[in-house]
Amino acid sequence: MSTFNLSVLRKLVQICAFVFFVYGGLLTGYYLEEKISGALPALSCAYDFQGSDLCTLIPIQHQMDHRLGETITKGGNLLMGIMPTLITLGTFLVLFVILNKAFCGWICPLGTFQEFLQMIGQKIGLQRQESLSKSLVGKIRPIKWFILVILVFGFPLLTGMGILNHDLGDPFCRICPSRILTTLATGSTEQLNIDTANATTITLSLLADFLFGLIIALGLTLRQPFCRICPMLALHAVFRKMGLFRLIKNASPRCERCGLCAKACPMDIHEIHTDMTSRNVTFEDCTLCGRCVEFCPDKDVLQLKYAFVPVFSADPQYFKSRKKAQTNWEKQNLINWIGGKSAKGETQSS
Amino acid sequence: MKPSNLVILLAVWLFSPVGTAIADEKQNIKSSKPAVSHAHRGAKTIHIDNLDGATISYISPDLSTQSITPVMGNVTIPASGMDNYHALVIKKDWGNDIEVIIRYQYMFGRPSKQSPARLTAAEKSEFEIVPAPLPREHYHYHSQQKWSFLVRFQGELLADQALTLTTSNGSQQTQITDQQGRVTFIIPDDFPDLIDGERSKQTAQFTISGEYQHGDISYSTQLVADYRVNPSHWQSTELGLLVLGLGFLAGGFLGQNLKNRDQKV
Repeated sequence: MSTFNLSVLRKLVQICAFVFFVYGGLLTGYYLEEKISGALPALSCAYDFQGSDLCTLIPIQHQMDHRLGETITKGGNLLMGIMPTLITLGTFLVLFVILNKAFCGWICPLGTFQEFLQMIGQKIGLQRQESLSKSLVGKIRPIKWFILVILVFGFPLLTGMGILNHDLGDPFCRICPSRILTTLATGSTEQLNIDTANATTITLSLLADFLFGLIIALGLTLRQPFCRICPMLALHAVFRKMGLFRLIKNASPRCERCGLCAKACPMDIHEIHTDMTSRNVTFEDCTLCGRCVEFCPDKDVLQLKYAFVPVFSADPQYFKSRKKAQTNWEKQNLINWIGGKSAKGETQSS
Repeated sequence: MKPSNLVILLAVWLFSPVGTAIADEKQNIKSSKPAVSHAHRGAKTIHIDNLDGATISYISPDLSTQSITPVMGNVTIPASGMDNYHALVIKKDWGNDIEVIIRYQYMFGRPSKQSPARLTAAEKSEFEIVPAPLPREHYHYHSQQKWSFLVRFQGELLADQALTLTTSNGSQQTQITDQQGRVTFIIPDDFPDLIDGERSKQTAQFTISGEYQHGDISYSTQLVADYRVNPSHWQSTELGLLVLGLGFLAGGFLGQNLKNRDQKV
């Protein structure tokens, strides 16, 4: 049985992307030339000296603060004030159209880190197998929109207008776990510091460290905890219809009784299973990881398509081997290993 | 005029921190600034004394160079409209005595698409001290930090060259370049009146200087830059780790709670 499957391929891509975006600057030298876009649709942090590109959320916050906010205050030309943000979003869109939300599922360093935590959790027997309930997922979903509107656009804009203090100019970056993760990955503990300069910096740095600890613990038991509230996911959701890479569903009557796709989904998108009418099922929380396609047992019911070309389709044979590989993978954990040892010991003693 | 005099004059550079800048600065921006601003966009006028015989050039990130002619001691630095580091080079050539002062300054504008390494690699004078590297965008020199510099003469790296770092707070240290022409200084933590746990926005200026004799000509060069108080005076990694640990415990508790809650549902 072949152990190579879409998940393994994705892990390889994720590892390469992690190394490239977190350490790529080591090869090319840091700074502007090696910032590929300056508007990457994934959380590759600007605070990482050795990184090779910037997440698009940092220029947006700075432009809200230093350009649009100032322009509004000065009564200047609003078009000129918003132009840098439009350019950033334009650059973001050029990249986003190519890979769509796969930037989350295949590229994002923080997404990769959470999957790594998930693997550790699974291996030590902490990872839960069942999905989160529909009602809980429904309650969590609006948080990412709140963070996008308030922390990425709202506070920086109000800071630029002189209403809030300067330390709220990039509030999302101040609490983003990717900032701590990527800098720690390069050996710097600087971003882990609690900053006692003033009440705002104390609050933001406390929040950042607390959130990072929370994400680590939750990541051991729950799939992709931060992704569910990530404002980048919300920004992706706005433009997801424009992406060339899509998740397509050709619903069959068997879908109603199955639901394996939703169980496989790391973001617990129940609609993949329940929606029987939409063809494009790249939902707002989808990261285009392709697990639902892997675990769909019916031929071509779910497909990953690039433009109009299917690049990966559900297949009964593939499903069987993938399911077997998953069962084997899940069996190999610390609890089973300890259980196996003690059972062996009991047999020998008896 | 000796280079040390030029250093004092450069202290009036408009970007100098509050408290050290005494320049007669006139920003060519009509409207008033809001409380927070990237104040390095427009053209600026600064006043520098004793500029007789000095040539001033201003080099943009794409290496386009403008000569600046002072008018009654006033020097207008034009807005290049480009993001990234620019170099201000003040040079006095007395025939047998050549003095130069270089300052790299980050300016905001449209993306320059240039690496600052291009600017530092370019020969701005026969004898010069070059930051290797420059602080990255949004970063600055801070006290307690190690920074390296290269010394070049006519494009060649100079080994065993003595360089002296002096600060406007009164510190001084001398280092010798290694075989690769590189020297590393730890920027002194010499700011007065610091209180642990309280942010200080003080800035000061350091000058790295060196002298070199080549034939009949003596060269002296200075690199001037601002540095700030190291944030470690008001930041704590230990506390950060403690809070991270609390977050981890809370995450464990929350994860268990979610599981129980969903099982009930």
